Amino acid sequence: MPSDQLQLLIAGYVLGDLDREEAETFEQLLAENPALMVEVERMQKALELAYAPAEVLPPARLRSAVLLPVQSTLTQSTLVQSTQPIATAARPKAFSWGKVMGVAAAVLLVSLGISNYRLWQTLQAVQMQRQQFEMLTYSLRATSANNPATARVVVDPNTLKANLIVSNLPPSPPGKVYVLWTVLEAGAPLTTDDKSAILTEVFQVNAQGDFAETISVPDVYRSETLITKVAVTLEDVDSPQAHVGSPILITGS
Amino acid sequence: MQHEQFDHPDRPLLEQTDAEVFLALKAGQTAALSVLYDRHVGLVYGVALKVLEDAQEAEDLAQDIFLNLGKSSYDPQRGVLRTFLAVLVRSRAIDRLRSRSTTQKMLDRWQLNRSQMVASNSPAEYVSQQEQSQEVQAALAQLSESQQQVLRLSYYDGLSHSEIAEQLQMPLGTVKSTARRGLLKLRQTLTDYIE
Repeated sequence: MPSDQLQLLIAGYVLGDLDREEAETFEQLLAENPALMVEVERMQKALELAYAPAEVLPPARLRSAVLLPVQSTLTQSTLVQSTQPIATAARPKAFSWGKVMGVAAAVLLVSLGISNYRLWQTLQAVQMQRQQFEMLTYSLRATSANNPATARVVVDPNTLKANLIVSNLPPSPPGKVYVLWTVLEAGAPLTTDDKSAILTEVFQVNAQGDFAETISVPDVYRSETLITKVAVTLEDVDSPQAHVGSPILITGS
Repeated sequence: MQHEQFDHPDRPLLEQTDAEVFLALKAGQTAALSVLYDRHVGLVYGVALKVLEDAQEAEDLAQDIFLNLGKSSYDPQRGVLRTFLAVLVRSRAIDRLRSRSTTQKMLDRWQLNRSQMVASNSPAEYVSQQEQSQEVQAALAQLSESQQQVLRLSYYDGLSHSEIAEQLQMPLGTVKSTARRGLLKLRQTLTDYIE
C-alpha cells in the first residue's frame, strides 16, 4: 500500500486537481513506477461507484458515426489539399471573412511586389484557418409523431464531406427518391431554390430503412450561421430538384 | 510540455494508458479515438442519458464529445481522462437542457432533483437518488459531511474548487484536501469491491 501522502496525490490525480508542481512530481513517480496506475484505477473505481451513474452502452451505430468522419477526414483532407486551388478568389459564393481577408492580403502583397515567400506565408495562414472548422452535427427527427425515422448529418466543414446516417425510414415508393436539403436563412448570399434550399443529396434507403454514406456538402457549411434547417423530403426521381415534397425529417428549432 | 512516461510507448495502443492513447490522438493517430471510445463510451453515454433522459439527445452529445476529444482541454498530467469526460459530459448535457425551450419540463424536474440534493447532506437521500448499493451507501456514510459535499460538488456537479470554496465559504486549500481525503476514505472503505 503506498504511503498516505502518495495516496492523496493519487486522489488528486483522479479528481483532476493537481497543481503544476504536484503534476510534475506525480509524473516522475509514475515514470519510476508504472504500477501506480493500478492504484489510480482503483481510486477511480471508488469515485465512480459512489458518484457516477451505471454505464450504458449506446446503439452500435454511434460507433460508426464517431469513427467514420474521422477516417474520412484523414483521407479527404489529403485530396482536398492537393486538388483545391490555393487562391480563393475564384470562389465567389463562399462568404467567409477569412477568405476575403486572405484574398485581399494576397492582392496587396502582389501589388507591392513583395516576395513570393511572404505571399506563400499569407496563403498558408488562410489555408490553416480553413482547416480549423469544428465538426457539425445535425439531428433530424420525423415531422410525424408516429414515424420512428431519424437521421444524422455529421459534417466536416474543412473537407466539405459529411456522413449521412438514416435509420427507420420506409423505402421510397416507385418513382420517388429521398432528398436531403440544406435550408438557408432568407436573403443568404447564395444560390438557392424558391424555398431557400440547396439540394444536398439524393438517396434511397435499403430494405431495413437505413442509409449510411459519406456525401459532399455545399460551401455554406463553412458559414453555418446561414443554415436554418436540414431536412429530408420525398421527390420525383426524374426531378428531385423541383422540391415539391414536404419535410419528412427535419432538424429541431 | 514534456510527458516523460508517455513518450514513444512501444506497446500497442490497446495496451497503453488513457493518457498515452490521448496523446496519440492529439498526434493524429485516428485509431486512438476508437480505443478511447470503446473504453469510455459507456460512462459518457450513461451520464448523458441520465441527465438528458432522451436516447437520441444522449447519442448526439456522446458523439459530439468524442468527435471533439482531440481538441479538448484535457491535460493528461493533471488528471485522469474518465473524470475529465464525466464532468465534461454532465456539464454539456446540462447546457443542452438549458438551451432547449421544448424541454423546460425536464429542466425543471432536474433542477428540482438537484436542489433537493444540494439542500440535503444526507448520504441516504443522495445515494437513493443515485440508486447505489448498500455497501456504497455505508461507505459514503463514513465520510464527513464536508467531504461528501465537496466530492459531490466537484465530481457530480462539476464545480471548480474556487466555486466550491465560495459556495461553502471554505478556504481553497481546504476544499482540495477535503476532496482528496474524502476520496481516499471511500477507496479504503470500498477495498473489497475495487480490488
